Amino acid sequence: MSGRVVIGLLAAAAAALALGLAADNYVLRLATTVGMYAALTWSWNLIGGYAGYPSFATAAFFGLGAYAAGVLQTSGLPFGLAWPLAGLTVAVFAGLLGGAILHLRGHYFAIASLVVADVLREVTNVWTGVTGGGMGLSLPLLSLGGVNGQARFYFTAMLMMAALGLGISWLVERSRLGVALRCIEQNEDAAQVIGVDTRACKVAVFMLSGMLAGATGAVYASWVTYIDPTDVYDVLLSVKPIVMALIGGVGTLMGPLVGAVVFLGLEELFWRNVLEFHAGLLGLLVVALVLFLPGGLRDMGRYGLLRRLGRFLPWSRKIL
Amino acid sequence: MFSSRIRRAFLASAFSIASLTFAGAYAADTQALRIGAPLPLTGALAPEGTKLRQGYDLWLDLVKEQGGIKVGDKTLPVEMRYYDYQSSTPKAVQLAEKLITDDKVDFLFSPFGSGAAKAASTVAEKNGVPMLASSASSAEVFDQGYKNLFGLYTDNSTLSEPIADLVTGKIPEVKRVAILARNDLYPLSLAHEFEKSATKRNLDVVYFERYAIGTLDHAAALTQLAATRPDWIVITGYINDLILVRKQLADLRVDSRVLTMINGPAYDEWISAAGKLSENVTTASWFHPILSYQSDDVFGSTARFVELFHKKYGSYPDFTQASGAAVGVILQQAIERAASTDRDAVRAELKKGGFKTFFAPVSFGSNGMADSYVPPVYQIQDGKVQVVYPADIATSDFRSGIGH
Amino acid sequence: MLYLQVLLNGLALGGLYACIAAGFSLVWGVLNVINIMHGSLIVLGAYLAFFAHQVFGINPFLFAPVAGLVLFAIAYPLQKLVINPVMGRPVLITLTLTFGLNLFLDNLMLKFFQADFRKITFDPPLGVFNLGGLLVPVDRVMATATGLALVGALWLLLRNTQLGRAIIAVRMDSQAAALMGIDVTRTYALAFALGAFMAGAAGALLSGIFPISPVTSSVYLGKAFVICVLGGLGSIPGVLVGGFALGIIESFGTLVLGPELALTLAFLLLIALLMFRPSGLLGRRGFQ
Repeated sequence: MSGRVVIGLLAAAAAALALGLAADNYVLRLATTVGMYAALTWSWNLIGGYAGYPSFATAAFFGLGAYAAGVLQTSGLPFGLAWPLAGLTVAVFAGLLGGAILHLRGHYFAIASLVVADVLREVTNVWTGVTGGGMGLSLPLLSLGGVNGQARFYFTAMLMMAALGLGISWLVERSRLGVALRCIEQNEDAAQVIGVDTRACKVAVFMLSGMLAGATGAVYASWVTYIDPTDVYDVLLSVKPIVMALIGGVGTLMGPLVGAVVFLGLEELFWRNVLEFHAGLLGLLVVALVLFLPGGLRDMGRYGLLRRLGRFLPWSRKIL
Repeated sequence: MFSSRIRRAFLASAFSIASLTFAGAYAADTQALRIGAPLPLTGALAPEGTKLRQGYDLWLDLVKEQGGIKVGDKTLPVEMRYYDYQSSTPKAVQLAEKLITDDKVDFLFSPFGSGAAKAASTVAEKNGVPMLASSASSAEVFDQGYKNLFGLYTDNSTLSEPIADLVTGKIPEVKRVAILARNDLYPLSLAHEFEKSATKRNLDVVYFERYAIGTLDHAAALTQLAATRPDWIVITGYINDLILVRKQLADLRVDSRVLTMINGPAYDEWISAAGKLSENVTTASWFHPILSYQSDDVFGSTARFVELFHKKYGSYPDFTQASGAAVGVILQQAIERAASTDRDAVRAELKKGGFKTFFAPVSFGSNGMADSYVPPVYQIQDGKVQVVYPADIATSDFRSGIGH
Repeated sequence: MLYLQVLLNGLALGGLYACIAAGFSLVWGVLNVINIMHGSLIVLGAYLAFFAHQVFGINPFLFAPVAGLVLFAIAYPLQKLVINPVMGRPVLITLTLTFGLNLFLDNLMLKFFQADFRKITFDPPLGVFNLGGLLVPVDRVMATATGLALVGALWLLLRNTQLGRAIIAVRMDSQAAALMGIDVTRTYALAFALGAFMAGAAGALLSGIFPISPVTSSVYLGKAFVICVLGGLGSIPGVLVGGFALGIIESFGTLVLGPELALTLAFLLLIALLMFRPSGLLGRRGFQ
C-alpha cells in the first residue's frame, strides 16, 4: 500500500473515531446506516462492478443473513457466533444460486436475481414455526450498557462491515481473481478463450458478495431487534446500493463509500423537509442521475459544474 | 499536492461530518409536553395511519382550547411530533429512536397495528419511555415483560369468545367452521383465537388457511373453502381484504349460517362497498359511535366525541380514529393525576388504571393490555351497524343467514 | 367438480393476464428495455377508468381503449425525452432508469390518489354465469374477452400495418432496419407508447374486478414478468399461452399448496424457467 493511501485511510478512520466518541445517538444512528449501505454497495460492486453482472440479489442476501442470524440467536447462540455463521450461510446460498443463474446474461440474470428475494420472502413468510412468518421475528436484546452503549456498539459493528467490504474489494482488485473479473466484464467470451475459468470466478465473487451482504444483514437484525419478511427483503435494498455505486463510480474502490455518503445525505435532507413525497423525489434523483451523470459524480465535470469536485473523485474505470 | 485518494477520503469524511452535524442540530427546546407519534402516512397502511392522525388531532384541538394540559398548577401546551414511517416497521423503529434521542419527546404513541407496536416497544423499553399502543391487541405484542407498554385494546380473545358464544347459543346447529386469515401478526393471531374458541365449544374447524399479504384474488382459496361446506365462516384481514373476499364469496355463491369478518365491516366504507352483501355479517371492534359512555376526559361522553368528530371531519368516527383520541385522553388523565410530566410518575399512574374515557373504562392488566371492558359484537342489519352483544347495550338481536 | 371449477377460475383470467403482459413483452422485445414502470402504468389506467366510472358512469371494460390512448399520449413523449438517451446502454442503466421513473410515478399517484383502495361497484351487480354448476363471474369474463380482443388487435397491427412491420423489423435488426429507411427512433417511441396503451387498457379492465391502489403496482409487474418468461418473449401467441398458463398455475397451485404459497410458486417457476428454458414455452432461442 502506498503511503498516500495509508494517510487517506487514517484520515477516514480518524473521522470515524470522532463520530464514535463525540456524536449524539441520532448522528450515530445515521452514521451506522451509512456504514451499512456502504457495506452493501461494496458487496454489490463486487459482482455488479468488477464482474459487470447487474445483480439485484443484494436484498435476498441481506434478508437471508438477517433471518439466519435471527433464528440462530433465538435458539440461544450468541451474536459473536451467529453473525459469522449467518455470513457463511449466505455465502453457501450464493454459491448455489450462482451456479444456477450466473450462466444467464444481461436482463435474464437481472430478473432472476431480482426474483430470488421474492421467493425467499415468501418462503420465510410461510415457514412460521422457524421464522415467525408474517408476524416477524424478535431478536434478544443484547445487554450492552444502556442506550449510548448500544448506539456505539452498532456503529462500530457496521463500521467493521464497511471495513470488511473495503478490505475484500481491495484484495479482490489486487488478486488474480480481480484480473479475471475485469476480463469477464470486458468480454466474457474472449476471457474464456484465453483460459479464464469464468464460471468459477463468477461464482466465487458472487459468494463473496453474498457473504458480505449477509453478514451486514445479520448485524442489522440485532440492531433493529425486530425483523419481518417484507422489510428485510425489500427490493429497495437491492436498488439503493446500485444507485450509490452509480453515484460514486461503478467498479471503483472508494466509489461505494462516496456514493453511500452522498445518497444518504441527500435522502436525509429530502426526508426531513418533504414529509410526503420524498420517495418520489428520490425517483427523480435516480432518473436525473442516470440521464446526466451515468458515470457518477465525476461526470459533473462534463457540465462545468464543480469541476474541481469532479477531479477529487475516484476514477479507474471506463464510463458506462 | 495530495493524491486523489487522500482528497477522496478527506472529502468523504468532511461531507459526512458536515451533513450529520448539520442534521443533528435540530431539536427545539421550549417548555411543552412533547409526544412522539410515528405514523404510516404513506404505503399500504396509509388509510389507517391517516385515521389515527385524525384522532390525535381532534384531541389536540380540545387540549389547545383549554390552553394545554394541567400539570400541577401549570398548564403545559402539547406538541405532537409526527413522522411518516412509510408502513415499514424497521423505519417505525428508527423513528421511535429518533423521536426519543433527537426530538426528546416525553412520551410515545405507538405506530399503527400490532407488528409495528411490538417492534417499537423495544425502543421505548430501552429508553424507559412510556408508550401507549393505540391499535395493538395481540398477546404476542405484550409478551416481552416490558414495563413501558400500555395497550388500549383488549386481547384478541375478547373478540372471538363473545361471537363464539352467540353463535353456539343462538344457532346450535352450527358444527363446521372455516377460517381464512391474512398472514400478518394481528389477523393471524385473531384467527388462532377463533380456532381456540371454536374447538373449546366442540365445533369442527374444517378449514384453516392463510393468505399472503397483498393477495388480490381469493377465488382459488374460497373455492376450496366452499368445498368444505362450513356453517360458520371466519375471515380476518384489513378492510381492503375483506371487501374483496366478501365479493368473491358471493361470486362463488358461497352460503353459510354465519359470516364473521374482522377488521372492516364496522367501517362505513366497507358497508357501502359491500352493499347488499353486508347483510348479517358479524364483526367486533373495540369502539363504535353507537356506544354511550360518560367520561372524565376532555370530551365528557362518547356522544360528544362523536359530535365533535363529525363537526371537524364531516364523517362519523370508526374505532381507529377513536383510538387516536383515546390514547391522548388517557395520557392526559395520567399526567393530570400525577401532576407531573416525569416519566416514572406518569408510568405509575398508568399502571394504576381506572381511566373513565369516552372510548371505554380503561385499566391495564399485568402485561400492559387493557382488560377492563368487553368489545361489543356488531352485526350489519339493513345496511346499519347494530350492537348484538353485550345484552345491556344491545340494539338488536343476532340473526343467522347471510346476504346475497 | 372442484377441479373443474378451479380450472375455470384459472382460465377466466387468462385473457386479462395476456393483456397485462402484452405491452411489457413488446417493450422488452423491441426496445430491449425492461420497463419497471409497467405495473404503475397499469394502475394509472385503472384509476382513469375508475374516475370515468365515478364521474361519467362509463363502463370500465368499454373505457379500456380510451385509457390506453391516454397512456399512449403520455408514453410517447416520455420515451422520446427520457428513455431514448439510454437506448442501447447496458442493462444496469436502463433498469435503474425505469426503476427511478417508477418510484416517481408510484409516489405521484400515492400523493394524488392516496393509498386507499378504490373499487368500482356495478349497480346493478353484474352477476355470475352458471354453466351447469360451474360458476364464473361476469366481470371476469368481460375482462378476459376484452383483453383477448385487445391482444388480438395488437397482433393484427403488428402483422398487417406499416407500423407493425417497422416494429418487427427494428426488433429483428435495428441497423438493417435503419438502412431500409425506417426511422428507428420514432419506431422505438411508438413501440413504447403501444406498450403503455396495452398497460392502460389492462388497468381499465382490472379496475372492473379488483380494488386498485398504487401499492399494488409491483404485483402486476411481477405477473407480467412471469407471463413473459413463461410464454416466451417477443411473441403474441407466447403472451397468450403465458397468460392462461399463469392463471391455471395460480389456481391449481392454491389448491395444492394453499393460498399463501401461490405467489411463491409463480416465482419459483420463473427461476426454474430462467435456468432451463429462458426462451419460454413458445419463444425463440437466443433472444437476449
